[in-house]
Amino acid sequence: MVERGFDIRRLPGAATLAIACFVILYIPMVILVVNSLNGGQSISLWEGVSLRWYAVALQNEGFLNAAKTSLILATTAALVATVTATMAALATTRSRGFRGEGAINLILNQPLMVPEIVLAIALLIILAQIKQATGYMGLGYLVVAHSAFCIPFAYMPIRARLQGMDLTLETAAADLYASRFYTFRKVTLPLLAPAILAGFMLAFVVSLDDVVISEFLKSPGQDTLPTYLLGQLKRNLTSEIYAISSLLLLISVLIVAGSWLLTRKKT
Amino acid sequence: MLEIRNLTKSFGRGATSVTALSEVTFPIAEGEFFTLLGPSGCGKTTLLRLIAGFEPPSGGQLVLDGRDIARLPPNKRPVNTVFQNYALFPHMTVAENVGFALGAQGRPRSEIAATVERMLALVQLGHLAHRKSGELSGGQQQRVALARALAPKPRILLLDEPLSALDMKLRKDMQVELKRLQQETGLTFIFVTHDQEEALTMSDRIAVMNGGRIQQIATPRELYDQPANRFVASFIGESNFLDATCARGRLVLSQAAGPLPVSHPDGPVTLMVRPEHVVLGSARGGGLTLAARVERLVYFGTDTHVHLLLADGARMVARVQNALRGGAPCAEDDVIEVTLPTDALRLLPKEAG
Ligand SMILES: Nc1ncnc2c1ncn2[C@@H]1O[C@H](COP(=O)(O)OP(=O)(O)O)[C@@H](O)[C@H]1O
Ligand SMILES: [Mg+2]
Repeated sequence: MVERGFDIRRLPGAATLAIACFVILYIPMVILVVNSLNGGQSISLWEGVSLRWYAVALQNEGFLNAAKTSLILATTAALVATVTATMAALATTRSRGFRGEGAINLILNQPLMVPEIVLAIALLIILAQIKQATGYMGLGYLVVAHSAFCIPFAYMPIRARLQGMDLTLETAAADLYASRFYTFRKVTLPLLAPAILAGFMLAFVVSLDDVVISEFLKSPGQDTLPTYLLGQLKRNLTSEIYAISSLLLLISVLIVAGSWLLTRKKT
Repeated sequence: MLEIRNLTKSFGRGATSVTALSEVTFPIAEGEFFTLLGPSGCGKTTLLRLIAGFEPPSGGQLVLDGRDIARLPPNKRPVNTVFQNYALFPHMTVAENVGFALGAQGRPRSEIAATVERMLALVQLGHLAHRKSGELSGGQQQRVALARALAPKPRILLLDEPLSALDMKLRKDMQVELKRLQQETGLTFIFVTHDQEEALTMSDRIAVMNGGRIQQIATPRELYDQPANRFVASFIGESNFLDATCARGRLVLSQAAGPLPVSHPDGPVTLMVRPEHVVLGSARGGGLTLAARVERLVYFGTDTHVHLLLADGARMVARVQNALRGGAPCAEDDVIEVTLPTDALRLLPKEAG
């Protein structure tokens, strides 16, 4: 028998701890979904399986409006963030090193490190002034803010993919008479596409899920799904909230799984 | 056709800079199978990358058909490369890979399709045109890389150790195949290898490199028979080296029976003789005769290597062809007479150290 190296799985208690973490993470979600299927009027009384509360939710004007806002917001913000992140990743991996490259990395990833509430308050100070001055109350503020804090999430998979890419492929393209643009269009971009899509999906989910910044920056009467849910929680609690949360969970899971499959497929 | 003039390349600056190529100058003729041969790190890849345009030279010129191309970007040079790891585009089919250069040049579709078909036929891969490049074996990828580089009809094809990733059998097949392709297309090949046998069997001419400098450029036979210096003699084939002196038109070897008349300037020299030319006993044509003790006999099937110890402690190897009958030519610990035939002797400049 060959002597084994250090194996974390053999540490006493490691397995127990891991299982505990999984239980704490996933059991509440299971409970949430089960509760959303409760056919009864009261949330504390189980009266059989039914999609009743999903039907209620899908006829609820407030929910539908919030969902629409969230989808528009997440799509736009993820799009802007992905395009920016792609350009930034190309600049930091494909050009010769330039002054301030480290600083760019730091600035791009700043939203990951600064507490979100700080960012929210800082943005609020500025945006409140702008709102006052211009009178514009639309979705633009949220789009800008979400785009900004979604950038690092789109940036990470794209940069990782670019760094892992075989540089001789681009050299080979140049050798075969391709201009820089032709090389980018025919070689770099197609190889990068799965990572770009993955980055977009991550950014989309992060935006869809955001509460703090949305809550601080939304204009009166505006609601995204999370802020709508927050507002509902403060009023009367029905199983409709569980149904809406379950729908949100379903979308997130689908997208995250999709992004994982995309980045995994081509190694 | 291609003239390399004083080509120099250094990496880095100041104290940490490495000179990968220094003052390389030589011409390459149209239609030649030209090989760069040398140990790892001697600058072969660097020279190839400079010719392809992947690196700018630190100095010198590359004159192709009368025009200096040394500062043109790679996509403006009529030169294509077969990369060591093939560098096939993984998201494209075999046909798309082969047609890539023509597409980049904006040629019409019908022309691209016809060329791709012709190229795939040339490397015998027509049946795999619609496979993704990742689904091919090493030898097949190699052929696709060749077809892709040949498709735009370059003036020169550069090949950087293209066979080193293949196993022995496939390697031998591809050597023959490459030579056939070169002869069929009449294209100029610049081929890089660190394998002397590969270089000797395939090349029209070979440039032996060491430490960023050209040591000798010659045909395979000339390199083997007339090495310019000790490095070339020991890198290509096996050699015995003995210290000797030239004095007043005579070669004096301390261990040898008599001096030999030579036409060489006076001074210390290195005497080189190939093991297969050393004769046990006396030789008909005459030469230097030495006394030696047989240290060891090593049987190699076709021949036997006789390890010899000379009177002053120098060592030599003689290679003796095995006869059908009769066993070993001598026994270990025998003291015998060996002859270095006059026409097998090579005088090389004595190097310091
Ligand atoms: N990009 C580079 N930066 C620094 N040194 C390099 C670079 N490329 C090659 N060298 C150095 O140049 C020398 C020649 O390298 P190379 O041309 O790759 O040799 P070969 O192909 O004959 O093995 C080596 O000493 C190598 O370390
Ligand atoms: Mg090399």
